[in-house]
Amino acid sequence: MAQYLGIFVMLVLSTLFALVSWGMSRFAASQRPTAAKEAPFECGIVPAFEPVERFPVRFYLVAMIFIIFDIEVVFLYPWAVIFHQLGRFGLVEMLVFALAVVVAFAYLVSNGALEWGPAKRLRRVESPLVRTTASTVRKVPSSERAA
Amino acid sequence: MTPLLSLLVAQVPALRLPQVDYFALLPEIVMAGMAFVTLGARSLTRRGLPPAVWTLVTMATGLASGTLAVLLGRRVETHGAFAAVDGALAVDGFSVLFLVLVSAAVVLFALAAHPWIEREGEDGAELLSLGMLSASGAMFMAAANDLLVIFLGLEILSIALYVLAALNRRRAASGEAAIKYFVLGAFSSAIFLYGIALTYGATGSTNLARIGTYLAANVSTHGGLLLAGLALLLVGLGFKVAAVPFHTWTPDVYQGSPSPVTGFMAAVAKAGGFAALVRILFAAMPTLRLDWQPVLYALAVLSLVVGAILAVVQRDVKRMLAYSSISHAGFILVGVVAASAAGAASVGYYLLTYTFLIMGSFAVVTVVGGPADAHQDLEDYRGLARRQPLLALGFAILLVAQAGVPFTTGFLAKFYVLTAVIAQGGYVLAVIAMLAAVAVAFFYLRLVLVMYGWAGAGAGAGAGAVGPVGDADAAGAGEVVLPAGTTSLAGVGAGGGGEPDLAVLGGGGGLALATATSTGVEQAISGEGLVAAPEGLAAGDGDPVPFPDATKVVLALCVAFTVVFGIWPAPVVDFARHATLLFGLR
Amino acid sequence: MSIPGSWFLVVAAMLFTVGAIGLLVRRNVLVMFMCVELMLNAVNLTFVTFARMLHDVGGQAAVFFVLVVAAAEVVVGLGIIVAIFRRRAGATADDLHMLKG
Repeated sequence: MAQYLGIFVMLVLSTLFALVSWGMSRFAASQRPTAAKEAPFECGIVPAFEPVERFPVRFYLVAMIFIIFDIEVVFLYPWAVIFHQLGRFGLVEMLVFALAVVVAFAYLVSNGALEWGPAKRLRRVESPLVRTTASTVRKVPSSERAA
Repeated sequence: MTPLLSLLVAQVPALRLPQVDYFALLPEIVMAGMAFVTLGARSLTRRGLPPAVWTLVTMATGLASGTLAVLLGRRVETHGAFAAVDGALAVDGFSVLFLVLVSAAVVLFALAAHPWIEREGEDGAELLSLGMLSASGAMFMAAANDLLVIFLGLEILSIALYVLAALNRRRAASGEAAIKYFVLGAFSSAIFLYGIALTYGATGSTNLARIGTYLAANVSTHGGLLLAGLALLLVGLGFKVAAVPFHTWTPDVYQGSPSPVTGFMAAVAKAGGFAALVRILFAAMPTLRLDWQPVLYALAVLSLVVGAILAVVQRDVKRMLAYSSISHAGFILVGVVAASAAGAASVGYYLLTYTFLIMGSFAVVTVVGGPADAHQDLEDYRGLARRQPLLALGFAILLVAQAGVPFTTGFLAKFYVLTAVIAQGGYVLAVIAMLAAVAVAFFYLRLVLVMYGWAGAGAGAGAGAVGPVGDADAAGAGEVVLPAGTTSLAGVGAGGGGEPDLAVLGGGGGLALATATSTGVEQAISGEGLVAAPEGLAAGDGDPVPFPDATKVVLALCVAFTVVFGIWPAPVVDFARHATLLFGLR
Repeated sequence: MSIPGSWFLVVAAMLFTVGAIGLLVRRNVLVMFMCVELMLNAVNLTFVTFARMLHDVGGQAAVFFVLVVAAAEVVVGLGIIVAIFRRRAGATADDLHMLKG
């Protein structure tokens, strides 16, 4: 049972940390809410319904990029453990691996995945599709609008 | 934590570096490396290069890796098969055959995709580098001698294909196809992986050669575990090659994906899946043959029957080709069921010829489809022979070859598969396969007739009936073209038209239907001259179809391969046979 | 005080089954992704257990690869979802009904 002591201590500590940091912000900050402050828009008009939450796609994008680069590091740990035994072979292999990741990163940067400012250079795509009233109207079904 | 760490640390003193034979890996390295180079170059050029550059680079990559594979084949011939990279890769005639096949598919894909890229204004570098990456995955699958390497190859192949399927961003169907492919693909990958884990637990290794020796030497004490692992492996690969109980994703994904991608998917995913299947079953688990043979037998019969019946009742050409690819998968499974060297050779030969047939066919579908791949209906092919005679002629040859008409590679492929299974005493399976081939030939011939405006009546019945897929047009075709076959065809339509995905037909019933259909088709063929209506009877022409140069090249290559090696089969057949003489490492 | 290895295998099998059933039953695409993850992690547990039982590192090495593959798979899946559902309200598989026949 003694071998699980570390895990238990870790569990207690992490719970304590979460509780303390949550409680501190709760009690230490001064809070004087008013109805106007809690309204979604402070423009004087009472909102008719809950505003639609907006999730910028960029958040997803950054999260996805993070997952990939985060998980690539998994390979670095076992490699680092036996780095000296591997010698030059290991170094070269890891450089090749890193190169592959860097190419992917270069692609992301060139596609503007990491640009957070206002969209400066949106690529213009020459669409061969002719847009007519018929096609555009059909793209917005009336039933969906009404709902 | 501590025991795991100590286990890791205990291994450290015994560390030995694997002998990496880079020459043996070169085809895969070139393919994957050029995918990264393409992506890097695309990222670094600000303005973007013309699409032709990427097409040429991809073609050069395919040619280079194919040449390297042939050189590797020379070395295998002189020195014999060997295992590379500490037993993780098998270098033998079988893997060389598939390396060449995948390289050829990459060249054809670059050519077939070029007109599509220019038409849709998509990013050629993205499409082609993903294609090369996916191809490298298939190459790893074919050369793998370790279940984990097979899994990694499978994932490289599939993940790139998911993105390729979604690549047409302006078409909602493309995204829908991608998500369907993704969910079912991830599901099947997980099942396959669980099969690997159980096999590993039962035999103590993921290396195919070591599993083989273990199973040959020991009477397994973990029989259930091993069989469960084997079953899960079969299910996982069954999804990938679209064998029948696991085929439901195929029509939707084939229809929704961009047309050139569909062709590539059909050729390469099938090649990778069958290469892995044959290698796992023949190299690692020949001792379990009595366990896996009946399962594959059932899969083969179901794929043949269901594929043939449902192909006939489709109206969308891409869906028809999807069901016909299921029927092809059934044929290839017949070769696997043979479980002999000849069987493995026939599987390789079938896949090689199928690659050219299907890539050429989808190159035509790409061109006829028009912007956003919109024109896929049978009606859009009406009178194609008048609008683009050469295009129609090439397509007709490829379709007829897929039907298995003599003097084409398609016929020889079916022939070798059947001789392989008959040599093992599988007469019943051979008969079922032949009947299914006749049934599915109806669909190919119908498409050819529509293109040439002959038997315009047959498809003309469908012109008015825009109704849902199924009974109407099958019955209509029966009425006009083949009076005697009417009832049988209508029966087929009723059986399969309503819910194609759920239609599970009993073996006996399916066989009866197939027989009925076959008689109808024979009459259709014999009566062709009588029914042939003068051209121009059919409705007005569709849109003019362009015929870009790249499509001309790819069509010429595919037709030349199909016809030349159909009449003079020796080189390709020898190549395929050579592949299996060296097959097996143990 | 050691739990026999077979228990881990049973837990892994149950997790895998939960994932598989969830994937087939649930209609929300994101939940389906989670089910795939559950299946893959059940396999990981199986691999580690067998590695321990067989005293072989191979199974542990496999887990690394599976982790990375799972991450790549999920990222691609999320990318496709974002591309499709940008213009739609909810991520439900029932909305995907264009392709039929």
